[in-house]
Amino acid sequence: MPTALLLAAALLQDPAAPSSGGLEGRPPADQASPIQLLIDRAAPGDRIEVPAGTYAGDVFIDRPLTLIGLGRPTLLGSGHGSVVRIRAADVVIEGFAIDGRSGGDLGRDSSGIHISAPRVTVRACQVRQSLFGVYLYAADDVTVEDSEITGIPDRDPGEVGSGIHVWNSHRFSLQRNRITGVRDGMYIQSSSHGVVQGNRAGQLRYGLHYMYSDDNRFEDNVFEDGAAGAALMYSRRLVFRRNQFIHNRGFASVGLLLKHCDDVMAEDNLIGDNARGVFLDGSYRNQFRGNVIAMSDVALVIYQSNGDNVFAGNAFVGNLSPLSLVGKRTDTRFDRNYWSDHGEPDLDGDGLADRPYRLTSIFDHVRGNLTAADLFSHSLAVAALGAAERAFPVLDPIPVVDPQPLARPPALTAVPTERTAEFRSAASLGPPLLLLLVGGGLLAAGGRSWARSAA
Amino acid sequence: MTSIWPVLWLCARHELVLAVRSRWLQLFAVVFAALALAIAGAGYVLSGGHGLQDFSRTAVSLVQVVLLLVPLAALVFGGLALTPERGAAELLYSQPVSRGAILLGRMLGVWMALSAAELVGFGAAGLVMQSQSGIDGWWRYGALIGTAVAITGVFLAIAALLASGNAGRRTRVLATALVVWFVAVVVFDIAALGAASLLRSGSASRLLIAATLVNPVDAARTGALLAIEGTAAFGGASLALLRFTGGPATTAGLVVLSLLAWLVAPLVLAVRALSRADI
Repeated sequence: MPTALLLAAALLQDPAAPSSGGLEGRPPADQASPIQLLIDRAAPGDRIEVPAGTYAGDVFIDRPLTLIGLGRPTLLGSGHGSVVRIRAADVVIEGFAIDGRSGGDLGRDSSGIHISAPRVTVRACQVRQSLFGVYLYAADDVTVEDSEITGIPDRDPGEVGSGIHVWNSHRFSLQRNRITGVRDGMYIQSSSHGVVQGNRAGQLRYGLHYMYSDDNRFEDNVFEDGAAGAALMYSRRLVFRRNQFIHNRGFASVGLLLKHCDDVMAEDNLIGDNARGVFLDGSYRNQFRGNVIAMSDVALVIYQSNGDNVFAGNAFVGNLSPLSLVGKRTDTRFDRNYWSDHGEPDLDGDGLADRPYRLTSIFDHVRGNLTAADLFSHSLAVAALGAAERAFPVLDPIPVVDPQPLARPPALTAVPTERTAEFRSAASLGPPLLLLLVGGGLLAAGGRSWARSAA
Repeated sequence: MTSIWPVLWLCARHELVLAVRSRWLQLFAVVFAALALAIAGAGYVLSGGHGLQDFSRTAVSLVQVVLLLVPLAALVFGGLALTPERGAAELLYSQPVSRGAILLGRMLGVWMALSAAELVGFGAAGLVMQSQSGIDGWWRYGALIGTAVAITGVFLAIAALLASGNAGRRTRVLATALVVWFVAVVVFDIAALGAASLLRSGSASRLLIAATLVNPVDAARTGALLAIEGTAAFGGASLALLRFTGGPATTAGLVVLSLLAWLVAPLVLAVRALSRADI
């Protein structure tokens, strides 16, 4: 009987015959890394230091260890599966470069680091050429920090996995990672009470993607240059602050997307330079407070399927259009936001503009059916139409109103400021000065000496 | 037959001197510089200080001012300066040089004067922008100035046409100039949008895109904003335009072609009208 059990266990661990959908086990001898010997000899709790160099083959960790790379050694995977497979709790892996050699299988979750045990820490690792970067598979209390995941460049989003994939793993902590070139930067499914903080994700599909994951928090992240900065779906009670959702500029790109998300709290975020700023579909009781939503083609896309959402104290700055309403009406409440295109005075000095701000206009109605109409969005004609509509409100479009808009932009000091490369060298003062000189010279010359010579 | 260049140059210098001495040009220079400075100063504040594309947004506002103010100034100045009046014009056009050369030279002079005033305004605004947020990409700044100078030329040419067709009737020239300005800046766009709303979406898109290229004000605005902001300028509409015209290079070409046509055609007509005018 014991031999039969052992045999069964050995069969389960045999990679040649993996049980369908099961975890990857110990790599076969010809695919194992030389480090494997050190691990197999270590006692639980040992600290293993790996000197710089390149180590070909996969690593299987089945006991609590601290694995430290000195001088960033490279773990070059076999190309047949996950490079590092962590199956024991309390493992720490730190300071490695991990190369997946573009190998493996999306269906088997081939990853740079695949974790299926609690309390694991991944620190300061670089994962590249790997389908998934770091995979948390039913692994609670895992921390991934200060790591860099670069994915497989030039591959279609459908052919690569996520940078950090969290599945059914609670209380995770993702800190200060940088992720590019993957499908979703951080994909979080059926996992709760996690924290995502200080990460930067760009050049991918979604920077951050929640599915069926309640009670999560994300702060101080930057999501840029994707199809969506963050996509929050089918999740409740998410809280997020001080994030930047910027430069999502594709044809249908969105800064922040909420689909069937309820009771979300968004505070002090910068949602700027996106094709569409915030996208709300089928979501209820969400609150947006003190965010800056700037320089979008359309600041808000709101479906009729939403309910009880509130935008209060936000600054809407320099958007081509404030709202695209899909459906006939919305009960979204707007309260004391700042709208840079409002331009109504505040004569009684209470800080509120004297007239309500209408988010819908005749021009929005025209452009709703016709993209090319936006070519005229900077035209004086559109401003004239708006003025005429205010003066003679015969055509009342769907009323969506901020009854008490702020007269001046609020001081939202908690909202992060995008750091831009500034060049303010003295040399670049040249062209404006040159213009001044040429223009002034022409004028002066016209007024004086030429006059004399002509006379 | 002597070369016409000395005549052109002499008339241009003469007109420049007259323009600079006139209070109107000084007033225009001051107003333009003040507006440009105000916009540049407000640009950073309006962006909420969050560092997003400060220069672009400021430049967009400057383009708006240019496309409102500059056509008006060019039409009024051109109308005032180029309408042949009794007295001086009789003497001038009786000289043994072609009337066309005199007209072109004078128009060139006004163009130089107005451009100089614009350069001063942009130079001052540029200094302010530089001190606040930096100007990334000098070619964007260049696009702004190029737009201003080009649109000045276009509306001076139109003014020249109005002036040559109405010799000795300056009031009528100015009144027509105002109508032309209003049509070009407001009425045309409203008409295009109105017509588009009656058509089906495919032909409506084509109509709107064609309209932006036909009207010199719209062409200049579209070209300048696309050059400054890229496709973010009009969102999805930018892409529709680029797909219709076949890329950024052809779009730029079409914009330049439109402006050139609006510069050359009125001038040709003006020269012809003037040669037949009874002065």
